[in-house]
Amino acid sequence: MKPLVTFDHATLGYGRRVVLADLTFAIHEGDFLGLVGPNGSGKTTVLRALLGTHPPLSGTVTQADGLRFGYVPQRDQVDYDYPLTALDVVLMGRYDRIGLGRRPAPHDKARAMTALEQVGIPDLAEQHLKNLSGGQRQRTLIARAMVGEPNVLVLDEPTNGMDLVATTQILGLVRDLHERSGITVLMVSHALNEVANYVERIALVMNEAFRIGTVAEIMNETVLSEMYGIPVEVSAFEGHRVVIARRRRSV
Amino acid sequence: MFDTVLLFRDALYGALVIGITCSVLGVYVVLRRIVFVGAALAQLSSAGIALSLFLGGYGLTAWIGGYPTVVSLVVTLLGAMFFGLGGGRRLISSEASIGVTYAVAAAVGILLVAKAAHGEAHDIFLQGNILGITRRDTLVLLGVSVPVLLVHLVFYKEFLFVSFDRETARTLGYRVDLWNLLLYFTLGVVIASAMQFAGVLLVFNFLVLPAVTGLLLARTMGGTITWAVISALVAVAVGFSLSVPFDLPSAPAMIAVSGVIAMIAWLVRRARE
Repeated sequence: MKPLVTFDHATLGYGRRVVLADLTFAIHEGDFLGLVGPNGSGKTTVLRALLGTHPPLSGTVTQADGLRFGYVPQRDQVDYDYPLTALDVVLMGRYDRIGLGRRPAPHDKARAMTALEQVGIPDLAEQHLKNLSGGQRQRTLIARAMVGEPNVLVLDEPTNGMDLVATTQILGLVRDLHERSGITVLMVSHALNEVANYVERIALVMNEAFRIGTVAEIMNETVLSEMYGIPVEVSAFEGHRVVIARRRRSV
Repeated sequence: MFDTVLLFRDALYGALVIGITCSVLGVYVVLRRIVFVGAALAQLSSAGIALSLFLGGYGLTAWIGGYPTVVSLVVTLLGAMFFGLGGGRRLISSEASIGVTYAVAAAVGILLVAKAAHGEAHDIFLQGNILGITRRDTLVLLGVSVPVLLVHLVFYKEFLFVSFDRETARTLGYRVDLWNLLLYFTLGVVIASAMQFAGVLLVFNFLVLPAVTGLLLARTMGGTITWAVISALVAVAVGFSLSVPFDLPSAPAMIAVSGVIAMIAWLVRRARE
């Protein structure tokens, strides 16, 4: 499959501080990848390099020609006090296509409505952002990312602060979008157990180390114990994998 | 009473121009939670006027005393650039740099005026003098405000996007720093031009209270801007009309009316919810 973003011996960091060194991997067309690691591990740095908003200190990060990202930011990066409806927010995803100084045309609004239908909330188009629940806000942001007709959908901590029901619904929605349209998905998260049961590949960022592979390759006790630096256990039931820290036996 | 007000109609027109322009930009100031950037820029602008008065008293720099607006504009725009590029947030928090700027600019302004030739006579210049606005001043204010409002009309969606969600705007290829800089630049130009007539307090008022009223009454961005402008116009018209016949200071009268309008808007919002 065609590589969409390629990291070639890329070292990422800020100024003189190296966050992650010598990354070599690619994201391919049709990938469903989870970028997982604890807070402060460098996930956001990898994400910014991938989006092209933060160049590597050395090496290269190459994007395929005509690549377009649909970005879903962390929910707390967005200010819900703005007097905007869900439709207003979704339309922002087409602003760069509309062009400088121009206003959205009726066909932009029609596409925005279609995007809201895709995420299952067309009836909330005229609802004020402030009045939406956490899950509905996240769907609005996903619709905004989809309305620009991207090649890659990038979600930054899409389930942060959500309850079990909303988390399951949002992750299910992302998987549906991937399966229905074949869109490449990159999901950034700190919750390995959540992401591992939805994605096809996992990139694990931890303690300045980086490891990428299929879910089966990464959800492996040896790999995870080495990455976390503590003994862990991977349990499976009804097709779901769960990682837990191994309890120390009391003497 | 109306005849007395009409005697100062040029001042009224000037105040209306200041009210309209500041209230439109104020919507971004309030939504972006940079209310005190407005106050700090207004204070910097007054320090610029004081610097011009101070330098005007010395031989080599005496000519600068004739251009207080230009000096004020330069100082304010430097401040706008500083805040537009992040306000040194890598070293200290944005709030702290705003506070430092506000306090230092206020103190420097007072010190420079104290040591300026005929400084005391120029105090009114720093505090603003709405009633002293002439027709020519109003035309100057219009010359600044019309292009600024046009920039905001044309690039409405760009300013909205980078204010609402800068990370996503960046991923769609927007030069977020440049748009921020342009937004702060327009803010700096408006504050510097309004400051010498309206003073720190009135400019700050028009940057905050009408926008708060708009946000309380409206559900859309367009509605918020419209209500902000209407409330600024009413505050100027009513405050000005009451201040002249009752011999009250004009700026505090307008601010008081702005406060009453904001309170009514708050009650309306409470009643709706």
